[in-house]
Amino acid sequence: MSDLLQMFRPKTKAQTTTLFAWALIAPAAIYMFLIVVWPLVETFRLSFTNSNLGTLIEGADYIGWANYEKALGGRKFPAIVNRTFYWMFLSVGLKIILGLIGATLLASNIRARGVIRALVMPPWIIPIAIGCFGWLWLYNGHFGLLSNFAEMIGLTDGPFSFLGYKQSAFYSAVVTDVWIGTPMVTLFFLAAMQGVPRDLYEAAYVDGASRWYRFRRITMPQIMPTVVTMALLSAIWTFNSFEIIWILTEGGPRGATTTLIIDTFKTAIFSYKFGAGATRAVLVVLILGVFSLIYLAVLGRVSKKFGYSGVAK
Amino acid sequence: MATLQLENIFKSFGETEVLNNISLGIEDKEFVVFVGPSGCGKTTLLRIICGLEEASSGKVFIDEEDVSNAQPVDRGISMVFQSYALYPHLSVFENIAFPLRVAKINEAELKQRVDRAAEILQLTDRLDFKPGQLSGGQRQRVAIGRSIVRNPRVFLFDEPLSNLDAALRGDMRVELAKLHQNLKTTMIYVTHDQIEAMTMADKIVVLNDGVVQQFGAPMELYHHPTTKFVAGFIGHPKMNFIKTNNTVVESNELTVKLGAENISLPVEIGGTKSGDTIELGVRPEDLMLSSDNQGLSMNVEVVEHIGATAIIYGSAAGNDDFCAVLPGDTLIHPGQTINLLIDSSKCHAFNSQEIALHRKQAAEVS
Repeated sequence: MSDLLQMFRPKTKAQTTTLFAWALIAPAAIYMFLIVVWPLVETFRLSFTNSNLGTLIEGADYIGWANYEKALGGRKFPAIVNRTFYWMFLSVGLKIILGLIGATLLASNIRARGVIRALVMPPWIIPIAIGCFGWLWLYNGHFGLLSNFAEMIGLTDGPFSFLGYKQSAFYSAVVTDVWIGTPMVTLFFLAAMQGVPRDLYEAAYVDGASRWYRFRRITMPQIMPTVVTMALLSAIWTFNSFEIIWILTEGGPRGATTTLIIDTFKTAIFSYKFGAGATRAVLVVLILGVFSLIYLAVLGRVSKKFGYSGVAK
Repeated sequence: MATLQLENIFKSFGETEVLNNISLGIEDKEFVVFVGPSGCGKTTLLRIICGLEEASSGKVFIDEEDVSNAQPVDRGISMVFQSYALYPHLSVFENIAFPLRVAKINEAELKQRVDRAAEILQLTDRLDFKPGQLSGGQRQRVAIGRSIVRNPRVFLFDEPLSNLDAALRGDMRVELAKLHQNLKTTMIYVTHDQIEAMTMADKIVVLNDGVVQQFGAPMELYHHPTTKFVAGFIGHPKMNFIKTNNTVVESNELTVKLGAENISLPVEIGGTKSGDTIELGVRPEDLMLSSDNQGLSMNVEVVEHIGATAIIYGSAAGNDDFCAVLPGDTLIHPGQTINLLIDSSKCHAFNSQEIALHRKQAAEVS
């Protein structure tokens, strides 16, 4: 017994330090394990079972890759993946472009700067659900402002429910998502732009560089790492954006706004197919994992190209 | 060929007046240094010449052409910034080539001009590096390279050496002086360091509170400062000032009684009368240790042995910041009282408005 205790007793100072370090990390590590690792492992396990409402009592059976085969082999699933990527690229692209324009306006010395600064904030400050309810009213066919306006200028013959048709529902959801997501992108870009030393612009100005030239050859390269970082973060958030679509359309009409995350929720929670839902969740993790790897590679190259050191060419 | 004229330049930022009626004429190929304490308006004046700042009123002429409203690039000037303002994401080559790319110079000529600039500045083997990988001195040279490729008529330097360590600063001073000899172009250089001003300038402009105190050759400023400010600013260590009303004017000679000593000053008396308060100016290097107990008595507080000289700080004649430069092997200790002889032929005198009384004869002025 004393031998056993002896084994665990720190012998050297280095060992004491190591033990102390582990003791310090332990609370955070246990916490992370309970709320991140364990659910992840459990989801992974669940994805190989036929777990559903009916199997709750007697327990689910392992069914191998059946869930994956069913999901990937089906007709609906590839369409959902395509739609999710389309949704992501369209929405992120718009957020980045609008964010750049907004940040440039905010960073410049125009007179209306204060007004624009105030206008940028609300979509971000207002709780997402409340913002979405506002948009629900705007998109409403009978009472909505947009429908009324479209009719007034002769764009439509009568009431038009923006969320009632497949195409318009999808693009309406994109508009709302962009509205909510742009302010943060804008503010990050603004911070990056304000971090560019004024001297660089003055030096270029003395050399005769136009506004556009300065933006292209100084501002853009200088804020490029921020742009890439925001693009990835925004891509992940948009890919997993749930509440906006759910409040506006619940994934409808006829699945037109069903992205992967909506499909996962519908399968696991609405249809009680926990196993099949977990399969979709695992696929989302895999897709985003691959996406992140690509991003890291791109970020590495961007930092090398636009960074402060490293041999050019 | 490039002369530069400033005519009645005024500049205020809101209520604050920064420059007050500045008029200067700078000759072709001159190396002119604007010097003055922080906040004296020297950088603002440079930025007005550059076109980065607009004067509240007044005109800027380059080669007798009014460029007051011209864009910087059309003025034919180039500027080296205090921070160097190098583009961190571009290579040294692209940094130097930047002005040429803006001007859409064709690739072959661009390369030739960048290579020549790199050669002059010994940067040829650094062209592929990024600014972050260079030392302070190399960055400085890249910034200069960027300004010389455009073949400007006038070079502007805004405190370009202030970010370098003392040794490198000394080297770069010499390099800049050589560059000026090679390029033979008008250069305007801003600094708060009077040593840089004295060592590099053909002419110095001393600014204080937005007013030109004096404009002239370095040794002229040293021997004939027109105001007490210039006298105190030029020369290191600073000139000592002794306030006294123990003055006697007799047959156009001004004599000051200091303790037991009568010092006959080599100045024109102007309107000075006996008993008027004046300030006597004595440079620390014009003091000698007295062998007997004659002369000005000084309480020594700090002794700095530089080698060739020893700088003695303490109080004398009611001045607590008195300073003397004595030969390096002088053995003096803090706490001691010493006696100093004043070389009266090298003294300066300032009236109650702090204006210098003109010195009659002085060492040769180049």
